[in-house]
Amino acid sequence: MLELIAASRTYDDGHPVHALKPTTLAIGNGEYVTITGPSGSGKSTLLNLLGLLDSPTNGGYRVSGDETAGMSAGHLGSLRGRLFGFVFQAFHLLPGRTALENVELGMLYGPHRRAERRARALRAIEKIGLAHRAHADPRTLSGGERQRIAIARAIAGTPRVLFCDEPTGNLDSANTATVLRLLRELNAEGLTVVVITHDPEVAVAGTRTLTVVDGHVEEA
Amino acid sequence: MRPADLVREALLSVTRFPGRSMLTALGTVLGAAAFVSTLGLVSTLGQQVSASFDVRRATEVLVQPQDQGADTGWQSEKSLQRLRELNGVRAAGPRVLLDERPTTRAIGVPVQGVRLMGVDPPALRVIGPALAEGRLFTEYDERNALRIVLLPRSVADQLGVTRTQAAVFIDNEAYTVAGIFDDVTRRPEALTAALVPFRTAGKLTSANPKRDVIIETAPGAAQQIAHQAPLALKPEAAEALRSIAPPDPKTLRREIEDNVTRSSLMVSLVTLVIGTVSIGNAATASIATRTAEIGLRRAVGGRPAHVFAQLLAETTVLGALGGAVGAFLGVCVTSAVSLWNGWTPVIDLRLALVASAVCAAAGLVAGLVPAARATRIQPVAALQR
Repeated sequence: MLELIAASRTYDDGHPVHALKPTTLAIGNGEYVTITGPSGSGKSTLLNLLGLLDSPTNGGYRVSGDETAGMSAGHLGSLRGRLFGFVFQAFHLLPGRTALENVELGMLYGPHRRAERRARALRAIEKIGLAHRAHADPRTLSGGERQRIAIARAIAGTPRVLFCDEPTGNLDSANTATVLRLLRELNAEGLTVVVITHDPEVAVAGTRTLTVVDGHVEEA
Repeated sequence: MRPADLVREALLSVTRFPGRSMLTALGTVLGAAAFVSTLGLVSTLGQQVSASFDVRRATEVLVQPQDQGADTGWQSEKSLQRLRELNGVRAAGPRVLLDERPTTRAIGVPVQGVRLMGVDPPALRVIGPALAEGRLFTEYDERNALRIVLLPRSVADQLGVTRTQAAVFIDNEAYTVAGIFDDVTRRPEALTAALVPFRTAGKLTSANPKRDVIIETAPGAAQQIAHQAPLALKPEAAEALRSIAPPDPKTLRREIEDNVTRSSLMVSLVTLVIGTVSIGNAATASIATRTAEIGLRRAVGGRPAHVFAQLLAETTVLGALGGAVGAFLGVCVTSAVSLWNGWTPVIDLRLALVASAVCAAAGLVAGLVPAARATRIQPVAALQR
C-alpha cells in the first residue's frame, strides 16, 4: 500500500546533507512496522516521507498505487487527512480545549459534519478507555493519558495507517505498556501501524522492524 | 472545511484565552470607544446647544440704521405697528441709547456717570428685567414722557439708592425710581444703564444717540423676522436698516457637530490604525508560538488555505469583539458623562454597529500578512517540536 521507489531526501543548507539515501520499501496493509536507529540516522526523515509530511528529493512514493510526486500541497493534505493518523512524542494537544475537542480537531478538515465528528471522537475516547476524562483540560491529564488522547485524535477519523513518532518517549514504563497494548489492539483490528522508537521494548512490539543507519534503511 | 467550522475554530482560539485576546484587541477597543463616545457626546452636546439657543438668544432680533442719522421715522408708532403685526413677533419696541449723564442721589452727594437707555413698554418687555422691587413702565408713563427711571441693582448700589419712589438727579433733573431689577432676559447692556421711558429720553439732547428697535420673536421665527423687519419699519428704504439675529441654531449646531465630528473621526481613525497594527503585530508574534499547532493542523489534513482562512477569521473575530467591547465602553462613557452633567444622552446605536464592523474589517486587514506567513509553515514542523 505504501511504496517508496528509490526515494531519497537531501537537505541543502549550503552543503548538502543526505538524510535518506535512495530507499525502496513497501509496507503492506495491516503491518505493524517499527523503525529504530540512532539519533540523526534518518528515522524521522523516513517517517516524514511515508506520512506525506515531506516529499522525496529524488525517486517516487506511491500510496495505494497512486504516485504522490507532483501533487499539490492541498491534495497531499487531504490525502494525509483521509488515510493517515499521527501521534507525536510531545502529544501536541492544544491548550484551552478539552480532550474531546482535541480529538475532534483530528477530523476538522475531513468530510464529517460536526455532530458526526463529536460522535466519532466520543467513540475513540471510549476505545482508549478515557471516556471519564473527555471534558478534562489536557493540562490536568497525566503524560500517559495525554498520549492516549493523542492516539484517540489520530484514530477517530478511521485512518488506514497510524504513524507514531517516539510515542512512548515521554512516558514511564506503566504508561508505555498501556500505549503499546493499545497499538497492538488497533493493529489487530486491521490498522497499519508505523512506529519510530529508540526503545527496544517498543521496537520488538511490531511484526517487522526496520533499522536506519546513516540514511540507509535495512530490514532487521 | 465549512465556514461555520471556521468561525467556531476562530471563536475557540479567541475566547479560550480572553486575557491574551483582549490585550491583542486593545487598540481596536480604544478606537471603537473613542469613535462611539466622541460622536455620542457630540450629539448630546449638540442637543444641549440647540436647547439653550432655542429658549434664549434664538428669539431675539435687533434692527439698527446703517447710518445713525437724524431720520427717526422708522421708530415711529406707525412703523412699529407694521412690525408688530408681523407673524412671529411677540414684542417689539424702540430704544435709544444716550451718552453717560451725571447722575446723583441728592445734591452734594458724589456724582456718577450713568448711561441712559430710553425704552417703551414693549421694548422693556423684550429686555425682560427681573424686578427686585417696584414696577415697570406703563403706557401712561410713556405717553406722558414721565420722568421716572428703572435702575439695575449695580447702578442703584453705586448711587446709594436703596428703595423705589426715591429721587435721583440726572442732568440736575429729578427722576423718580420706579423699580430696581437684578437681571434681564435679553440685552445685558441694560444691566449698566438707567432705563427711562422712550419719549422721556427723546426730550434729552445727546451728541451721539444710538437708536434701534428690539424684537422678541416666537421660537424659530428670528431669521424670518430679521429678514422682514427692515421692510416693515422703513418700506421706502429698507436697505437703510440692518437686522442682527443670532445664528440659526440648527446651522450653528450642524457646524459645531461637523467640526467636532471631523476631529473625532480623525482621532478614531488614528486609534484604529494603531489598533490594526497592534493586532497584526500580536498575530505575527503568536505565529511563532503556534508553529506546532499550525504544523499539527497541516498534519491532520489542513491545507494552506485552511490555515490562512483560520488566522484571518481569528483576527477578524478579535477586531469585531474589540469593536463591540469598545462600542459598549463608548456608550457607557457617553451615558456617564451625560448623567454627570444632567444632560439627556443622545446615542445612535447604529454607531456601535458601524464601530464593530469597521474594527472587524481592521482585524481582517491586520491578519493578511501573518496569515500569509503562516501558510509557509510545513506540517513537518509539528513533528520537530
